[in-house]
Amino acid sequence: MQAIRASVALVAAAAAVLTSACAPSAHRAPAGEHASGAAGGSAEKVVLTLGSWRTEDLAMWEDEILPAFEKTHPAIDVKFSPINTNEYNAAIQSQVDGGTGPDLITCRPYDVNRAWIKKGYFEKLDGKPVLDSFDALALDPWSDDAGSRYCVPTAAVLAGFFYNKDIFAELNLQVPTTQAEFLAVLKAVKDNGKYAPLALGSSESWQLAYNGLYSIGPAYWKGEEGRQGLIKGTKKVTDPEFVAAFEAFEQWKPYLPKGFESLKYPDMTQLFSLGKAAILPDGSWDINQVAVGGLNVGVFGPPAITAGGERYLQEMPDMAIGVNAASKHKAEADTFLAWTASPEFQELYVNKLPGFFSMGKQPVTYTNTLAQDFANLKQGAKLTPRLGLDRLSAGTPPFDDEVWRVLQLMYNEDLSAQKATEELQKGLTSWYAPQQ
Amino acid sequence: MIDGERDTLLRTRASRAHYRYFLAFTVPALVVYVVFAALPLVNSIYYSLFDTDSGVATFVGLENYVYLFTNPTTSERFWNALTNNVEFFAIHLLVEVPVGLLLAALLTSGRLRRSTGIYRTLLFIPTTLSVVIVGFVWRLIINPLWGLVDFPLLGDERTALPTISLMSVWQYVGIPMIFLYAALLAIPGDILEAARVEGAGSWSTFWRIKFPLIAPQFGLIAILTYIWTFNGFDLVFALNGSAPGPNYSTDILGTLFYRTFFGSSGQLADLDLGATVASVIFLIILVVTAAYFGLLHRRLKSYEL
Repeated sequence: MQAIRASVALVAAAAAVLTSACAPSAHRAPAGEHASGAAGGSAEKVVLTLGSWRTEDLAMWEDEILPAFEKTHPAIDVKFSPINTNEYNAAIQSQVDGGTGPDLITCRPYDVNRAWIKKGYFEKLDGKPVLDSFDALALDPWSDDAGSRYCVPTAAVLAGFFYNKDIFAELNLQVPTTQAEFLAVLKAVKDNGKYAPLALGSSESWQLAYNGLYSIGPAYWKGEEGRQGLIKGTKKVTDPEFVAAFEAFEQWKPYLPKGFESLKYPDMTQLFSLGKAAILPDGSWDINQVAVGGLNVGVFGPPAITAGGERYLQEMPDMAIGVNAASKHKAEADTFLAWTASPEFQELYVNKLPGFFSMGKQPVTYTNTLAQDFANLKQGAKLTPRLGLDRLSAGTPPFDDEVWRVLQLMYNEDLSAQKATEELQKGLTSWYAPQQ
Repeated sequence: MIDGERDTLLRTRASRAHYRYFLAFTVPALVVYVVFAALPLVNSIYYSLFDTDSGVATFVGLENYVYLFTNPTTSERFWNALTNNVEFFAIHLLVEVPVGLLLAALLTSGRLRRSTGIYRTLLFIPTTLSVVIVGFVWRLIINPLWGLVDFPLLGDERTALPTISLMSVWQYVGIPMIFLYAALLAIPGDILEAARVEGAGSWSTFWRIKFPLIAPQFGLIAILTYIWTFNGFDLVFALNGSAPGPNYSTDILGTLFYRTFFGSSGQLADLDLGATVASVIFLIILVVTAAYFGLLHRRLKSYEL
């Protein structure tokens, strides 16, 4: 019965999406249009809607962030209107195509946004002073092929390693700075036998890529050098520096907890936060969960290959905001975008959401110590986003999904690093022109 | 003659009233059905014939279908999902129906005496639970870190799908049980009494009297199970998300559709291809269901009692 009801709901949801998609495009007006004048009786206020996939942030935006903006901009009323994360892409596409999109659209990084730019969803931002607050690496995820900018970066997430300071002290271990030291720490914890060395399961393959390979790999493929090489077609996944990265990932296998094949992300986090594991490879968004229960947690960045070698850190652009090209209130939307680039907003936002980091040039102070520790890892490290999400996943098979799959096979079925990279290269060559 | 005319008049009035009642009773259901079931279905078939990637819908005929079945990746995923779905269905049919029959037979055997009602309720309760709860509880029970089983049942390609199928069987076994239970209760007592008088034991009474009488139910249960499992989505999604691993070994048609239609953080939502997958799922269900009702169902013997 449940199955029927759920599938009816699914069909109904699909129907809603489909029917809204086929609404005649003559009514091309943003949703904010209909809502204007409804707020607080002040009819002259311009109402802007801000579309987002973060439903969990509704209260934060409505109660803390937007009031701060409206205090200094009394003529503009911004409404935060989130959509379920999983349905966000499809919903925004059908809304904007149908002329009911929000005035301000939260931008997904890279390929999804590039497709949206191509469809003409966004107002071009080139030449606007708001862009000066960011450097190129922060703006690239939201640009078209010609390098024009369309969204203002809001926040990024970082990947690193949480470690249990008490376990490290008990076993007399130092924070590792090279891959050899890292493996030595894992071995010491394993030999001691009291704790799990690495809280890592392979059931959810995305985190093998995002918190594993894409975190330690850049040291081998030299961050942007290797990533851009793949995108331009000058490098192949089967090149030695990539194979070496996959091998480094493979070296963790002996230190995984028992039954790792069916451990999910919450199991891993729990194993660590219960104090039963020494190290958790994770993303910065998990800051609040890992320290729950007063665990003494520290964070370190991915190790360099050799002592004194270059350090790399994964900084993944997570979201940005752009102006809907069909908005009736572009001037007001620009004002809002300019405000999101200010240190006032950036500091407010990242401190309300520990684990998210400002992408602006201006330094930001984090009140959460673990967040500040994480932010400090950026100093002296070369930043690079996740390997597979820029261009390489815009065809079938998507490179990123394939990375998830082969990394899982490496742990579950002992697929070799060599074979894994060969499979990835084959998939890429099958559709990606620069690699053909 | 006058009487006759009045008669006809009355009859027309009556039939008009009849007609009005007929409309009043059917239209609400029909409207709901058309708006929430028929229309989306037609709409999704319509969408599967278009390409909207460029922002404008262009008619492409069957190109989306050709792409789905000829692109090496999408066709591999599709056939994989279909095979998994067949396995998902087969496990349901082979485990759920016999267990349901056993439970129904026990409930009607009289051996449980006054606790029949309690057992019936207990056995039916899982069916009413949310899949999220079922998935969560079972995942904890079989979790190698804090559960009862050391083996990573959900992490092994060979055991993952049977494990999920059996969770689903555990949840829904109440449905065939209730069907068969109702059919068994409907058997008139005098037939059973006659059998007893003739000297039939409970074993032969069950297999020679009761079973043939409830046999038509099995066809119905099989086809309903088929429709449920091929529309299945929720338990797999709750346990393994929309790219159900390991290595897509638990991917079924519902999750394939969801992934294609809604996209993910790194993957663009492909509404046309999603609609194509939905239409193919619909056809798979339609063809088999139609074949069942057209060929098999009318041949099932039912005894007039």
